[in-house]
Amino acid sequence: MIPIILATETHAPTGFFEQFGVDWPHFIAQLLTMLVVLWVLNRYAYKPLLDLLEERRRRIAESMAQAEQVKQELAKAQEAREKIIADAGKQAQQLIDEARAAAQRQGDQQLQQAIAQAEALIAKAREATDLDRQRMLTELKREVGRLVVETTAKVTGKVLTPDDQRRLAEETSKQLAA
Amino acid sequence: MRAYSRALFRSFSMTAEHAIPTFAEPLFHIGPLPVTNSMVVAWIVALGLIALVQAGTRKVQLLPGGLQNFLEFVVEGLHDLLEGIIGPEFVKRTFPFLATVFIFILACNWTGLIPGFATIGWGHATEHGFKVTTPLLRPANADVNMTGAMALTFTVLWCVWYYQAHGAGGAINHLFGTKGGMKGAAWWMLLPFFIFVGLLELVSIFFVRPLGLTIRLYGNIYAGDNLLEAMAGVIPAPFSAITMLPFYFLELIVGVVQALVFMLLCAAFTTAAIMHEEEGH
Repeated sequence: MIPIILATETHAPTGFFEQFGVDWPHFIAQLLTMLVVLWVLNRYAYKPLLDLLEERRRRIAESMAQAEQVKQELAKAQEAREKIIADAGKQAQQLIDEARAAAQRQGDQQLQQAIAQAEALIAKAREATDLDRQRMLTELKREVGRLVVETTAKVTGKVLTPDDQRRLAEETSKQLAA
Repeated sequence: MRAYSRALFRSFSMTAEHAIPTFAEPLFHIGPLPVTNSMVVAWIVALGLIALVQAGTRKVQLLPGGLQNFLEFVVEGLHDLLEGIIGPEFVKRTFPFLATVFIFILACNWTGLIPGFATIGWGHATEHGFKVTTPLLRPANADVNMTGAMALTFTVLWCVWYYQAHGAGGAINHLFGTKGGMKGAAWWMLLPFFIFVGLLELVSIFFVRPLGLTIRLYGNIYAGDNLLEAMAGVIPAPFSAITMLPFYFLELIVGVVQALVFMLLCAAFTTAAIMHEEEGH
């Protein structure tokens, strides 16, 4: 462009410029046209569109970051849920074990009580049996003694005195006890 | 007086007489300013882009649809491409210009392929048929004023970015200072060479690069226009469409490639300028 400027300012031979129609008015007119286009495109196309692209890029980056965060939180929640389920399972198993142990203990206790009660009942029955036996044995002794006295009296034909009756009864009793 | 005519598919012989003019022709005047056919096209393209952008970004929504989706695709694609070349920090400053250059050049190039460009206009009858001498519409980039304006704008912006990257002292040191961490006698011995290299770099920055950007884009678009014009004249109309069609597709590709080349060269020059800062110069 220097030659153009120099040529115009110094009025040098302008054959080349004349041949290609280069002159200041047309040059400036075309320059202004291009500058107007530059200004309009910059003002109404590049700036708003590049700002928009940047805004979209920023939002996409934010969305991706949020999605990543949500993913991580979801993974944490999943992990926590699994942990809670595992803990609940453990607690449930513990409760079942405790219940089972308690039931076992209670069953054992009741069994022991039943055994004790049964043993007590058996002891009572045995005691009662012994008492009945003793009583029956006493009654038997007495009856045998009476029968011995009566038999002796009938056999001997004499009336036995109370002392004889007592003595016979004691001897019979001794022999029965032996 | 110029005669107005429509000659969309006209027979045309490949002679220098029938080549499209190398310069944009004035159509009318607005005050003292002569308005050329390429200026009209540049204004149409500019208005089209402005309308497109306004329609697409009137109600910008986070969930895009339709036109906003398309604009986002273009802007994001260019931004990612340039960010990969220039880096995430400096792309914020350079993106508006570089993206605009690409979009505007591409729009101008493809607009220039619409039938009617260079074939509708004022002219006169010749023995080969009607010859359009002043087309009503001319591709905006087939005008050195347009490509030169973009190259000059880049050169000015490049200086601003260079200053922002290095500062005044750093820029001078970067241009003329000795490289390679030399000290002592070697530094003094090599200083004249590096000053000479700096001067060459200045010539490159302020002359070669802008001229290259200007002529490359202009030359490709102007040549493409001439190519289509020549193909239209190989066989008589309407059969000339057969010879033109392959070159239409070629010019569609050339339109994208040239827009990309202009933008990528600007990006490469900028990257080369700011990369030195990161290397510690």
